Amino acid sequence: MTLFDVIFAGNDAVYGLTEGAINDAIAKYGADKAVSFPGTAYSIPCYYAVTGTKITTLGEMKDALAVIKTLMGREQELNDALFSGVATALLAELIEVLKYVDNENPYEAPCAGHLPDPAIRELGVPLVTGDIPGVAVIIGGAPTAEEGAALVKEYQAQGILVTLVGEIINQCVEQNVKMGAAMRVIPLGMDITSVIHVVSVAVRAALIFGNVTPGDAAGLMKYTAERVPAFVNAFSPLNEVIVSAGAGAIALGFPVLTNEDTFAVPMNLIPNVPVEKMNAASLEARNIKIKISKIDIPVSFGSAFEGEIVRRGDMQVEFDGSRVDCVELVQMKEPGEVEDHKIEVIGPDIDEMPVGSKQQIAYVVEVAGKNMQADFEPVFERKFHSYMNCIEGLMHTGQRDMIRIRVSKEAFEAGFRAKHIGEVLYAQIKNEFGSVVDKCQVKIYTNGEECTKIRHEIANPMFIKRDERLASLTDEAVDVYYSCIMCQAFSPSHVCIVTPERLGLCGAVSWFDAKATHNLDPAGPCQVVTKEKLIDERIGEYEDVNEAVRKFSQGALEDVSLYSIMEKPMTSCGCFECICGIEPFSNGVCIANREYAGMTPLGMSFPDMASMTGGGVQTPGFMGHGKHFIASKKFMKAEGGVARIVWMPKDLKEQVAANLNKTAQDLYGIENFVDMIADETVTTDPEELVGWLTEKGHPALEMEPMM
Amino acid sequence: MALSGIQIFKLTPKKNCKECGLPTCMAFSMKVASGAKDISECPHMSEDALAQLSEATAPPMKTIKVGAGESEHSLGGETVLYRHEKTFVSKTLYAAKICSCMDDAEIDAALAAVPVVDYERIGERMYTEMIYVNEKPGTDPAKYAEIAKKAAAVRPVILGCKEEAAAKAALDAIADTKPVLNGADASNYEAMSKLAADAGVVLGVSGASVEELYDTVAALEKLGNKNLILDVTMDSIKATFEAAVLVRRTALKDGDRTFGYPSIVNVAALADDAVMQQALVSLFTVKYGSIVVIDKMDYATALPLYGLRQNLFTDPQKPMKVQPGIYPINGADENSVCITTVDFALTYFLVSGELERSGVPCNLLISDAGGLSVLTAWAAGKLSSTSIANFIASEVEGKVKNRTLIIPGKVAVLKGDLESKLPGWKIVIAPLEAVQLVKFLKDLQASGEI
Amino acid sequence: MPFNRKLQKFSASINEVEIGTGDKAVKIGGQNVLPFYSFDGNIGNGAKVGIEISDLGVEGMPACIQACYEGCTSFADIAKKAASFEGVDFLALSLEGGDPNGLNKPTDELIAIVKEVADATDLPLVVEGAKNAEKDSELLAKVAEVLAGKNVLVMSAKEENYKAIGASAGLAYGQKVGAESAVDINLAKQLNVVMTQLGVNANSIVMNTGSASVGYGFDYTLSTFDRVRAAALGQDDKMLQMPIVTPVASETWGVKESTAAEADAPEGWGPVEARGISMEVQTAVACLASGSDAVILAHPVSVSTVAKLVKELV
Repeated sequence: MTLFDVIFAGNDAVYGLTEGAINDAIAKYGADKAVSFPGTAYSIPCYYAVTGTKITTLGEMKDALAVIKTLMGREQELNDALFSGVATALLAELIEVLKYVDNENPYEAPCAGHLPDPAIRELGVPLVTGDIPGVAVIIGGAPTAEEGAALVKEYQAQGILVTLVGEIINQCVEQNVKMGAAMRVIPLGMDITSVIHVVSVAVRAALIFGNVTPGDAAGLMKYTAERVPAFVNAFSPLNEVIVSAGAGAIALGFPVLTNEDTFAVPMNLIPNVPVEKMNAASLEARNIKIKISKIDIPVSFGSAFEGEIVRRGDMQVEFDGSRVDCVELVQMKEPGEVEDHKIEVIGPDIDEMPVGSKQQIAYVVEVAGKNMQADFEPVFERKFHSYMNCIEGLMHTGQRDMIRIRVSKEAFEAGFRAKHIGEVLYAQIKNEFGSVVDKCQVKIYTNGEECTKIRHEIANPMFIKRDERLASLTDEAVDVYYSCIMCQAFSPSHVCIVTPERLGLCGAVSWFDAKATHNLDPAGPCQVVTKEKLIDERIGEYEDVNEAVRKFSQGALEDVSLYSIMEKPMTSCGCFECICGIEPFSNGVCIANREYAGMTPLGMSFPDMASMTGGGVQTPGFMGHGKHFIASKKFMKAEGGVARIVWMPKDLKEQVAANLNKTAQDLYGIENFVDMIADETVTTDPEELVGWLTEKGHPALEMEPMM
Repeated sequence: MALSGIQIFKLTPKKNCKECGLPTCMAFSMKVASGAKDISECPHMSEDALAQLSEATAPPMKTIKVGAGESEHSLGGETVLYRHEKTFVSKTLYAAKICSCMDDAEIDAALAAVPVVDYERIGERMYTEMIYVNEKPGTDPAKYAEIAKKAAAVRPVILGCKEEAAAKAALDAIADTKPVLNGADASNYEAMSKLAADAGVVLGVSGASVEELYDTVAALEKLGNKNLILDVTMDSIKATFEAAVLVRRTALKDGDRTFGYPSIVNVAALADDAVMQQALVSLFTVKYGSIVVIDKMDYATALPLYGLRQNLFTDPQKPMKVQPGIYPINGADENSVCITTVDFALTYFLVSGELERSGVPCNLLISDAGGLSVLTAWAAGKLSSTSIANFIASEVEGKVKNRTLIIPGKVAVLKGDLESKLPGWKIVIAPLEAVQLVKFLKDLQASGEI
Repeated sequence: MPFNRKLQKFSASINEVEIGTGDKAVKIGGQNVLPFYSFDGNIGNGAKVGIEISDLGVEGMPACIQACYEGCTSFADIAKKAASFEGVDFLALSLEGGDPNGLNKPTDELIAIVKEVADATDLPLVVEGAKNAEKDSELLAKVAEVLAGKNVLVMSAKEENYKAIGASAGLAYGQKVGAESAVDINLAKQLNVVMTQLGVNANSIVMNTGSASVGYGFDYTLSTFDRVRAAALGQDDKMLQMPIVTPVASETWGVKESTAAEADAPEGWGPVEARGISMEVQTAVACLASGSDAVILAHPVSVSTVAKLVKELV
C-alpha cells in the first residue's frame, strides 16, 4: 500500500460513516431538522470556509456530501491525496455537528468540543501577535502517561496552545496536568473526529483575522499555512483515518510528526520522532520561535550595567586576551549541527579558577537558520560587547581575539558561572536576530589547549577570510546595493546608497551592515536597490538607483551618481564624517573631517562646508562621505580618483595613509602618495598650496580641468 | 533656475582678493548659491557676468526692510514653502493695532500695553515688533499724524490708511522711522505709490480679490515701485487664507515674481473675539503671513505664539540649543540631587517637564553637547564622561553640595568612567525614557536614596 | 498679463475613515489637497474636533476646565456634558489612570468606565491608552472587545504593541486603529506597513504621527505633517495616506504656560485659563494647518473656537 492508498482508504471509511450517520439522523429527525454549532456566525465553519455554502438542515448536509465527494479524487498524486485529506476533515465536521442536534452540550468536562466565536477572537489575538507562538494538536496516547504529560507541559511552558484528542486526555488527567483555556491546554474530545474543532479555530481565524472570503479555498489554505502556526503530533499506533485526517492537516500547512515508523514526506509528514524530541522537532518543522523573556542567570541583566567597571580588587577572575588565548566567534552551521539552546562548558568552571587569576576563554556561538547568511556573523559578533556588559558584575572590552573579561566577586558569589555567558549570548541572539536565527548553541572553552586551537586554527583564519572578503569586495562583485535613510529625521530628503566600496557617509553603515539591517528588519531603513539598468558607467549612474532615490527622498531627488562629485553627486545629510570640496586653483579637492576645527584652502572650515552641503541637497563640487571612502578606488572615480586629493588635515591623513597609499599605488603606481597631499601644517592658503603641490609634483595639477 | 556654487564660481574673477569678506572666490560663490550673499558684493564682477547672474540668482521673493536703526526688520526673502526643505529666512512679525477711532485715553492705554510683552526664550527676544495705526476714513490728517507719531515713538509703524491727505500728513511726521504705508489699492495706487516713494517707505498693497491684487502690483511695478508688501486680507477668513497661500505659492513654486513680496494679514479685521484671533494668528504664522496684525498682544497670546514662531523658523538641521548651566527645579537648592542631560532643546523640555511633574527638587545640569540628542551626542563624542566631568568640576562642584548624579539611561555605559573621573560622586542610572522619570525619582525619594 | 491661477492638483488622496455609527458618525480624510486648500480641489470631510475626557474624571482635569463640568457625578454625566458642548464632533476617552507608572488602575475598572461612557453618548468614540505599551496591549484589546459594533477608534497602537491592538481592534472586532509613532515620517510609514501586513485594512487605520505643544519641539511635529502629506499626495505613497488624528490637549495642558497659577507665574502672564486655552487653540490650529485631520482638545472654549474656524475655512 502506498501512502496515498492509506489516505484514500481512510477517507472512504469516514465517508461511509458520515453518510450512514446523516441517513440515520434524517430517518430520526427528518430532512428539515435544523443543524448548527452553538455560538458561531460561520455556520458549519470548515465546510462554509472551503465552499462558501452555509448548511442549515440535515437535508442540506446530504447535498454537502455530494460536494465533498467531488474532492475525493483517486489518482496516485499529491493533489488528490491532500484534497481527500480535506474531505476527511469536512466529513469529520459533519459527524461532529450531528452530535449537537438536540443537544447543547454533547461534550462533558474536561472535553470542550466545539469552541464558540468569542473564544476564537480571544485566542486569535495572541495568535496573531505571536503571544501564542504555536498550536499543538496531540492525537492518541503517548507510550506512557508520564511522557505524554511531559510533552504537554513542555509546550505549555513555551506558551504554545495545546489541543488534545483521544487517549492523551486520559493521560493528562492521570498526571494531574492542569487543563482549560486559561492554561492553554484544551482537551477536545475522545473521537478522532473531534480534531475538527481545532481546525475550526484555524479556519475561523482566517475568516475573522485574515479577511478570507468563504469559498476561497486557496486563500484559506494560504492563510492557515502562513499565519496559523499549528502542527500535529500523532502517537502510534496510527490508523488510516488518522493518516487521512493528517493529510487534511498537511493541506492546511500543518506538519504532522509521529513516533511511528511510517511513510515520510519531507517537511510535512515526519515519522520516527522519539517522544522526548517531539517538542524540538515540531518547533523546527513549523518554524516556531520562542521568545525568551527572562534570561536564566543569577545576576541582573540590563543596559543600566553597561558602564560598570570591575576593578582589580573586586574581580574574581579575568579572561585576558592580551596575555593568553581568548577569542569570541560566531559561526554559521547547518541546521543538523546545531541543537537549540545547548550550552556546553569545556574545561574548568570559574569556581575551579584561582581568585584574581588570568585565564583563557573561547566562546563560539553556533547558529543555524533558513535565512541565515555568513555575512551576518560579524554583525552578531559586534553585539557581544554590549550583551556581555549588560550582565551585572561583568566587564567586557575589545573584540575578536583581543577581548578582556572580568567577573566580579559579587557576581561569582551570586552564582555566576561560565555557562551563564552562554545563556546570555543565546538569549540575546535569539531575541534580537530571531528573524534569521532558528537555532543557536554556545560552546565555552576554558582549557588552554582548546583555546589556543580555537583561536589560531579556527577563529583567526576566519577573521582573515572575512577581512579579505570585505577588502576584496567590489561594487561590481555584488548584485544589489542598499539604501539607507536612518538619518531622514534630520535630513528629510537625504538617501544614502551604500555599496561595498562606498559606505554610508556617516561612516557607520557598511554594505554588510545595510544588508543585515535589511534582512533583520525588512520594512526598516535599509532597502535593496538593484543595479541592473546602467546609464553611465563612468559616473556610476543607474536607472534603478535613481528610482530608489526618487522613492526614498519622496521625490525631492531625481538622480544621483555613485562616483562623481561634479555630476549629480550623492547628497549629504548632516552626519557625514568628512566633506570634500573642489579646490579650483589646484584642480583637486580638499577634504576636512568633522574633528578638524581649522580653515581649509577653500576658504571654508568644516562647519562652513557642512552648512552648504548638508540637508539632502545636491551640491556639485562638494560631497559628504565616510573616512573609509577616501581610500576607495571608487572615490570620485569619474573625476580621476584619489589623485585629486590635494589637501587633508594632518590627523585625517595619518588615519587613512596606509590604505590611501595602497590605492594610489594600485591605481597609478605612485609611491607614498600621501606625502604629496598638503595639510594645515603646510598651508591653508590656495596660492601657497599650488606652489607646494608643484614642488611635490602632485598629479592633480596635470589632470583634466574639473570644471 | 538656481545656480550651483560651481556655476557661479566660473563667472567670478577667481582672484581670491578677499574684498567681499570671504577668503576665496569659491567660498563666496557657495554663499551666493545658498542665498546668504548677494552677487553684487563682489567688486570685481564683470558687467556681463553680473547681468548673467543677477537674474539667475535673484531670489524669487524680495527681502523688504521696514523700520529704522535698531528697530529695522527684514521681511520676505523666502525660497521654500516648507521648513524641512530649507530654513525659513524672515520670521513673522506681529503688530498690535490702534485706530484713530479710539479716544486718546484708549490709544495711550493700548500703546502703553505694547511693551509689556517682552521676554527671552531660548536666546531670542520676544516682543511685539510693530504697531498698526489704522485710519478711520474721515479722520483729520493732523490728528492721524499725531497718533502715528505717538505710536512711532514706541515701535515701527504700519499706517493703515487709504486717504492721501492723512497718509501724507502721517508720513511727513514719521517718514524717518521707515513705516509701512499700507494704503494702495486699485483705486489709488498711483498717488499712494508716489507718496511712499517720496518718503522712501514701503508701500502696502491690497485688493478685493487675488486677481485685483495681482493687477495692482503689476501696475505698481510698471511705475517702478518694487518696495512693496502685499496686504492679503480679504473679506472673509477663507478668502484671506486663499490669498495668503496663493501669493506665496505663486512666487516660490510657480516663479512669478509679481507676487514675490512679503505679506500682511490683518487678523484684527477678520475676527473680534480674542480667542479666535489667537487661532488665526497661529494659522497665518504657519501659512505665510510676514506681518500679522492683532488687536492686542498679551502674554496669553504671546507665549504659545512666539514658541510656535521659534519652532517654525529654526534651522531644520541645527537643533535648538539651551544654555549650559544649572537649572534648579521644584525649588531645588545646593543639597538637591543632580541630574544631567544634553543641551538639545527638545530633550531639555521633555526632561525638565517630567522632573517638574515628579515634584522632586533636583538640579538639572545641562552641559554643552552640541545641541544633539543623548545618543547622537554620545555617538559624536559630544557627550562623554570627560565632557560631563569637566562641566561638573568647573561649574557645579563649587555651587552644589549634593554628590549624587543621575545620568541618562541611554548612556549607562559612562557610569564607570564617571566614577573614576568624579571621585566622591555617586553615579545613578536613570531609565531609558523621560516619561519614566517621575516614578523613578519618586521611588528613589521613597527609598531614601536621594 | 492677468494673474494665472495655478492649481496644485494631486491625483492621490487621503483615505476616508469613518468613526462611530448612525447619524452622529463622522468621517475624516477624503481630500486630495493640502489642509484647507479648498481653492485647489476637494477638501474631503474637513477637519474634525474631539473633546477629551479621562478615567480620572472631573478631578483629573485642569481646574479651569473642572468648572465646565460642574455637577457631574458620574462618568456618564461627564460624557453627556462633554458631548453637549458646541462644536464637538467626537468624544475621546483617555485611560491615563491605567499607567503602571502612575495610578495603575486595573483593566477591569477602566473597562467599566469605558462601557459607562460608551453607553452614555451616541457620539463617535475615540479611546486613548494608558501611555504604556505593555498595559495598552491588554487594556486596549479589551476595549476593542467590549465596544464591538460601535466602530470606535482605538488609539495608541505603537511599534511595541501594534500586533495586540491591531489584531483585536483592527481584525477581531472591526474597530478603527490609531497607529502612533514617534515624530518621524519613516517610523510612521513603517508602522503602517507592518500594521497592514498584520492584516489590518489600510482604510481602518488613522495615524498619530506625534504631537507637541507649540514651542516644545513642535518644529518636528509640523515638518512631519508636511512631509507625510507631501508623500501621501505628491508621491501617492499608499502607506502614508491614512488620515491623521492628533491629541493636542494632553500635550498643551501639561506645559508650564498652561499650568502655572497666576500667583506663581512671571509678572504679566495673567490668568491661567486664558493661557491654557490660547496654548491649546494655537497648537490645534497649527496642527490642522499642516496636516492633522482631527484634533483632540479639552477646554470647551478651545473646541468651539477651533470648530468655528474650521467651519469658516472649509
